[in-house]
Amino acid sequence: MLLQKIMCKFKLCAVITVLLQLHCVAVYAQTSSLSIRLFNQSDELITGGTITLSADSRRYPATEKTPGTYQIDSIRAGVYTLEAAAFRYQSKTASIKIDEGANTVLLHLSVGYNTLENVVVTGYSSNSKIRASNLSMHIVGETELRKNMGGSLVQTLSKIPGIEMMGIGAAQAKPTIRGLGFDRMLVIDKGIKHEAQQWGADHGLEIDQFSVNEVEIIKGPASFLYGAGAIGGVLKINPALKPQKNSFGGSLQLIGKTSNMLGGLAGNLYTRNDKWFFTTGFSYQDYADYKVPADSIFVYDYAVKLHNRNLRNTAGVQSGLNASAGFVGEKWQNTLYVSNVFSRSGLFANAHGLEPKKVNHLLYDKSSRDIMEPSDQVNHFKVINYTAIATRQHAISLAVGYQNNFRQEFSKYVAHGYMPATYPSNNGIPQNLEREYSKQVFSFQLNDEFKAFTHNLTMGASGEIQLNKVDGWSFLTPAFKQYTAGIFVYDKITINSKLSLHLAARTDFSYININAYRDWFYSRLPNGTQEQLERASALKRNFSSLTGSAGITYNLRQWWFKVNVGKSFRVPIAKELAANGVNYHYFSFEKGNPNLDAEESWQLDASASFKNENWYLEISPFINYFPNYIYLNPTARHDYFYGAGNQIFQYSQSKVFRAGGEMEANYRISRSLSTGISGEYLYAQQLSGDKAGYGLPSCPPHSATFSFTFEPQQMKHFSAPYISADAQFVAPQNRIVPPEKQSAGYMLMNLQAGSQFHVGKQTFDLNMQIRNLFNTSYLMHTSFYRLIGLPEEGVNFILSFKTNFNISKSKKHND
Amino acid sequence: MTKKSIFPSLVVLLSATVLLSSCKKESADTEYPVIDVDYPGSFPKNCVDVSRGGSFTSTIRVHDNVELGSMSVEIHENFDHHTHSTDVESCPEVPAKIPVNPFSAIVEFPLPAGQSSYTSVKDINIPAGVDTGRYHFIIRLTDQAGWQTIKGIEINIK
Repeated sequence: MLLQKIMCKFKLCAVITVLLQLHCVAVYAQTSSLSIRLFNQSDELITGGTITLSADSRRYPATEKTPGTYQIDSIRAGVYTLEAAAFRYQSKTASIKIDEGANTVLLHLSVGYNTLENVVVTGYSSNSKIRASNLSMHIVGETELRKNMGGSLVQTLSKIPGIEMMGIGAAQAKPTIRGLGFDRMLVIDKGIKHEAQQWGADHGLEIDQFSVNEVEIIKGPASFLYGAGAIGGVLKINPALKPQKNSFGGSLQLIGKTSNMLGGLAGNLYTRNDKWFFTTGFSYQDYADYKVPADSIFVYDYAVKLHNRNLRNTAGVQSGLNASAGFVGEKWQNTLYVSNVFSRSGLFANAHGLEPKKVNHLLYDKSSRDIMEPSDQVNHFKVINYTAIATRQHAISLAVGYQNNFRQEFSKYVAHGYMPATYPSNNGIPQNLEREYSKQVFSFQLNDEFKAFTHNLTMGASGEIQLNKVDGWSFLTPAFKQYTAGIFVYDKITINSKLSLHLAARTDFSYININAYRDWFYSRLPNGTQEQLERASALKRNFSSLTGSAGITYNLRQWWFKVNVGKSFRVPIAKELAANGVNYHYFSFEKGNPNLDAEESWQLDASASFKNENWYLEISPFINYFPNYIYLNPTARHDYFYGAGNQIFQYSQSKVFRAGGEMEANYRISRSLSTGISGEYLYAQQLSGDKAGYGLPSCPPHSATFSFTFEPQQMKHFSAPYISADAQFVAPQNRIVPPEKQSAGYMLMNLQAGSQFHVGKQTFDLNMQIRNLFNTSYLMHTSFYRLIGLPEEGVNFILSFKTNFNISKSKKHND
Repeated sequence: MTKKSIFPSLVVLLSATVLLSSCKKESADTEYPVIDVDYPGSFPKNCVDVSRGGSFTSTIRVHDNVELGSMSVEIHENFDHHTHSTDVESCPEVPAKIPVNPFSAIVEFPLPAGQSSYTSVKDINIPAGVDTGRYHFIIRLTDQAGWQTIKGIEINIK
């Protein structure tokens, strides 16, 4: 504080309270105005903040003239109350004396969320970033991620209404937004599209959840900003804030779970001098077969006995490594991120897909921690360089990335159809390598945000090169190359302090070059001869698309409203265009369609939100129409040549109508007690084609969650203690399409408790959870194992412990 | 409406939505077709013996709530017991062995159009020189809506 006082006096600034931690400069001039530059503790400008000056019930909102600089003109000299709020930061209120002429204030906000916003995982909705977006949005911070940490990042996020997980056992899952998953939603990591093998039902997300600091979820058609694939929405993983100046610190985290006897360790270190910083982190998790509330499982009528109620061969390991190095300058910043995520996991041994398997139980049950076949192994390596340049008018960012995704699926060779009964020793493909996918991706995203009068314009361009190879004795999708490029312009027009208009247009171009693929074995042709069948023909296709979005946001003090209509699209994937192979695990012969068009989607979104000291309410309905949804249609026919007697599943396009929405209500009963309810509803119907009248596959059932949270007042050694309970009611899913099964409804109960405590100067975080408190046996409709009727995890105790240490070389901002 | 009454109302509204939406009448066919191998005349039955160098008559009765689609049968060796039948019962254990000249067949079983119930009969030849031992007889049946039912039967070629 001494430093601040000296600075203030020295520069003859206005008198500002100690509370604000302000650095201030005032320059005398003829008219009275206030210019505020808003910084975080790392001296980065905060954009999108809300600053208001008030005196005698009159309010003067500041407008953001240039990124991070806020201006209030035409005010009289005098004493005012200044309120500053920005997303991710603790709001501040203080009195300020405005002198005659131009006043300039440098204002620092520290990171954190306000208490009420901590009540539920989704409750950050009062912040200006969410209010400013034309789409429904949720932001989940580090604390909430840790409090609710599940088996995977997606499981943690699935508490948010509208976000569902498609689980693959206990430790892997892929996300869906309002029932759209796979290639119909995007994951953006540090500004770059995360590219894995997202089309596969048994493929996880491949993001290390310990390295995730904050997740931003956009529900709605976001193609106008992110290009192909952002039909359902976007899951955006934001990088951690840069370390404070002249600091050195780190953290260590331990996690344990009982359901799959998981043990995990994660840690990170960071350091920064004035302008340069370096961070590094690691994580390691090892887990055993997970427990289900059943002694035996029925694969068809075949009863599979489980050893100790463990789901045979579902153990695994996961590890993550990451580092970043960067420079924070006045005008520009640059960060280089390098990360690697590895996972190896087993798949349930008694059924591969729909096929019942007999395995040596003695061998498989010897250890619940070993990983035998079938299993998969994935490594995802990523390098991203992110540059941000801030000039007086422009905020320019450039992200350039390289990704290498390498996936192998191991399974004992099993002859199907015309495959030879014994595996040929000279085949060149390892006998246990069922499938292998290798993907290399080069991508960039360039954005330029600037203000012109009442317009806040963002212009951008993106591009991606994908090189895909396949290997293994089983064939599902061919090798291909893909090039995509897009440009967009997004204009946010401020009509008045309450009303904003959002307009966006984008055009994309995509080229796909698919390699031909021939079987390594001979099939018997109808004329008696033998041939290595061509499973995919060489194919080159171009796709172009014009998308756009138009919306309004209307912001009042306690209420805010959004309406948006948007068009999104996605390009058909190689498998949809060219596959001609048998997926023996599902007894399906999947026939691609080389004539598929780019899939288009029109969506109308609306939302109404209310927030005061005790209430937070939000309702966000949507309707959605696809003129040409790409659908893998199971036909009534079998194919005896290419399909080796299997049911033909034909890729086709049909008109689809979807509607639904989410609602949330949170109420603070007293200072320490709050309650909440949230729910989601989704309806889908195919309007044309073979399956007119049916819904869509993997459609999440309706659900509602009730929660109670008790947050006692601060105690001596404890801060922010909490106990919460929630009950989730899930409706049955009876609207199914082949080859699905109807799923019964269920109720789950979860408990959470935890606190931060202090020993000396050290702080520790302890978080506990009990998931599925009553050990309920239930089938999750969207789970990978649903088709063979494997129940989800039984009761699960989760304990996590985290300690942070921080050595600030200079305590400029804090004392 | 006062603020205090909003919350309970929302609870009721939401619960009602969840409960009622599950009662909606379904028009689309969501029933799987049925392969009936339990009736007395059906053949082959689980764990049955058939002879090589001859043929056997396969009789499979199938039905559907609306209309049958098509039916296919695959026969392949299961000498190492890699797969299990879809039946409750396991056949008596025999030692695993390596295939030399295993029998395999993919056979179309005719189903006339427009039927909701049918008994499909087809003769299957087993050449003389094939390996004896445990085989899988897998029946795949679809209906017009695209639902597929799978039935796996173990047979023993002698």
